[in-house]
Amino acid sequence: MDDRKAAILGEIPRLRRYARALLRDRDAADDLVQDCLERALARLDNWQTGESPRKWLFTIMHHLFIDQMRKAGRRGEVAMLSLDGDEALAVPVQVESIASREILDALQAITPDRRAALVTVAIEGFSYAEAAGILGIPAGTLMSRISRGRDELRALLDDRARRRSLKVVER
Amino acid sequence: MTARDFNERDIHLALDGELPDEERTAFETWLKANPEMKARSSRFRTDREALRLALASALEEPVPVRFMRLVAGDAGARSSQRSRWWQGAAAAVLLATGGVGGYLLGTRGIGIEDGAADRFAEEAIAAYVVYAAEKRHAVEVPASDEEHMRSWLSARIGLRLVTPDLTTEGFQLVGGRLLPAGAGKAAMLLYEDTEGNRISLFVTSESGSYAKGTYAENNRPTAVYWLDKGYGCAIVGALPQERLAAVARNAYRQLIEGAEKRV
Repeated sequence: MDDRKAAILGEIPRLRRYARALLRDRDAADDLVQDCLERALARLDNWQTGESPRKWLFTIMHHLFIDQMRKAGRRGEVAMLSLDGDEALAVPVQVESIASREILDALQAITPDRRAALVTVAIEGFSYAEAAGILGIPAGTLMSRISRGRDELRALLDDRARRRSLKVVER
Repeated sequence: MTARDFNERDIHLALDGELPDEERTAFETWLKANPEMKARSSRFRTDREALRLALASALEEPVPVRFMRLVAGDAGARSSQRSRWWQGAAAAVLLATGGVGGYLLGTRGIGIEDGAADRFAEEAIAAYVVYAAEKRHAVEVPASDEEHMRSWLSARIGLRLVTPDLTTEGFQLVGGRLLPAGAGKAAMLLYEDTEGNRISLFVTSESGSYAKGTYAENNRPTAVYWLDKGYGCAIVGALPQERLAAVARNAYRQLIEGAEKRV
């Protein structure tokens, strides 16, 4: 196996984590990883020497993700999840703590653009400059998405905590 | 020292390691003097840690063999069909919002042109995933009330529904429930064998196309489905392929015979 393929292989765990943060459902996330790998392998020649494999692969995956979100959005199917639906939200096969489930559900409920910006920097550890390159947006836009994303995430979690305490009072 | 004014923006810069080193001390001082900002900063930090923790397992899992084969250039590892992660995402949305009792978004129109059959199968699988996993609340009407269930569900979905006898396949009726499907309704009948394996029959009169097939994704239950104009039926389960196919054929035959009988 050549070096480039070995480098791609080494990035798979991170690609899977990014995909899971974007999509929540594990099978769906792995399908996104698979699409990303297929596209990367088909375009190995586009990979500039010296470019970090991680950045290159994340850029490809991000394009795949955003394309599909836009297609769904144009058809009027943008997902606005309510956290009320926790009983109905089926996550049957995976074992998660309640805290993990809450924060992943909340992450899934913020807008896809903000989610991608926040995860790229706060989870994947890219610098603002790198993240802006991966997402194809100016640094200023990235910053505003990150700060709004954090606010939105926090508001959802606060809201959830408030409802829980209301339920206890009503009982 | 520069006495530049800090603001909320700097909280994010600091958290993300983008604040210049020479400003860090001044920033910390500013934070101490602004309890509200300090609280914000620590909430964001806590959220980040929680997110990292929740996602950490992805890094520890072994790389799936199919990915290794794919990268190694094994042609067999390529998906023979377009992968469907976005449809899965749509189904997840359907589930999540369906349970809220508010607006149902549906999966109509997502993805590919001939998506009606896929969508139908996805819906049937989604229903199975939610309800077959429920021990005590899997059904609305139990098998002990079979006759009532049959007439109720028939009236709701608008076709004559029978409850196929699958005892020769080892399955007993558990009960049934009414569900949303696309823009309309579906009946779901749940069966169980002595080992606790469950299968569901998902029936609707909403179908607008002709198709039949098997919808299988890795690590998910499989749906065997038939669509006919004005009739759709999917049999869903996590059984070995051949057994599921046999049960499905048997169930389908009985459903069709039942539906065609005029009262």
